[in-house]
Amino acid sequence: MVKFMVLPAKYNKEVKLSSSVIDKCKGKKIAIYTAVQFLEQIEDVVIQLQQNNVKVVSSQPARTESEFQILGCDCNWDNLKLEGEVDAFLYVGDGMFHPTALVLAQREQDSFKEVIVYDPTSGNDKVLGLKDMDKVLKKYKGSYVKFLSSDVIGVLVSTKPGQKQYEVSKKLSSKYPDKKFYYFISNDINFSEFENFNFIQCWVNTACPRIGFEDSSEIKRSIVNLSDVLRE
Amino acid sequence: MNYDLEVDKLIAEIKKEKHKTVLIQLADGLKPMAKEIVDQVRDQTNAEVLIWMGSCFGACDIPSVDADLVVQWGHNLFKKEEKW
Repeated sequence: MVKFMVLPAKYNKEVKLSSSVIDKCKGKKIAIYTAVQFLEQIEDVVIQLQQNNVKVVSSQPARTESEFQILGCDCNWDNLKLEGEVDAFLYVGDGMFHPTALVLAQREQDSFKEVIVYDPTSGNDKVLGLKDMDKVLKKYKGSYVKFLSSDVIGVLVSTKPGQKQYEVSKKLSSKYPDKKFYYFISNDINFSEFENFNFIQCWVNTACPRIGFEDSSEIKRSIVNLSDVLRE
Repeated sequence: MNYDLEVDKLIAEIKKEKHKTVLIQLADGLKPMAKEIVDQVRDQTNAEVLIWMGSCFGACDIPSVDADLVVQWGHNLFKKEEKW
């Protein structure tokens, strides 16, 4: 049995929001999230916000180990487990993969709340809106329509232990008895392989949901995430 | 380096459990640190160290290899959602 150990690579500097970010949050109710590297500093950030008349809430999303932490895969609204309404989101951390999950999670919400992103490593901030995901979400909606009208479906199953959803994906045939499902398994999903299996009309992704969103937005073939086609 | 790699924790684990083979897996931004980590582990233990040359998307993405210990940097434990 192979033992597994994770080390978070904690950020070892102070994290303090810039005045630009404070101005964007002032007077609002903010849901705050971060990546594991910055978890130790997030309480200080919460205090800084509260001292500036900001109401701060958070949650522990479905796949995370800690409150305040967001993962790229927690990109469906229910996964966030956030209770109550907020005026905006604030993500503290580097990179755009995690804050984009907060944009995607709101894709079917009645009203969209902006996602303020503060990178403590550079001091820069920006604001993400639904328009930043416009291209991805248009492609995704098209893929969903294609799934409904397709008879021959390829199901993408990953061998990665945290992403393998073969058992769940077998529900597809009972939910869609008129479609034929063919199961494909690999570690990383390589879109160029699709050309070898051109009898597939539409693909269902059961691995990381971000494969169904950003990764597939540049290719012509249709891919839809398992969660969206299994939803009641 | 603004991130603490905590190699001492890995070395303590190797010594405590007497691991003979260790695979180190780094998130992309941390991959350049592989040399420093391997050198430290080799210096202080007798373990054989391999570097994973592949993806490291998160704790969902653990390589299947013949090693006593897989250690991944840059992530936290992952709670798999069986229902998706």
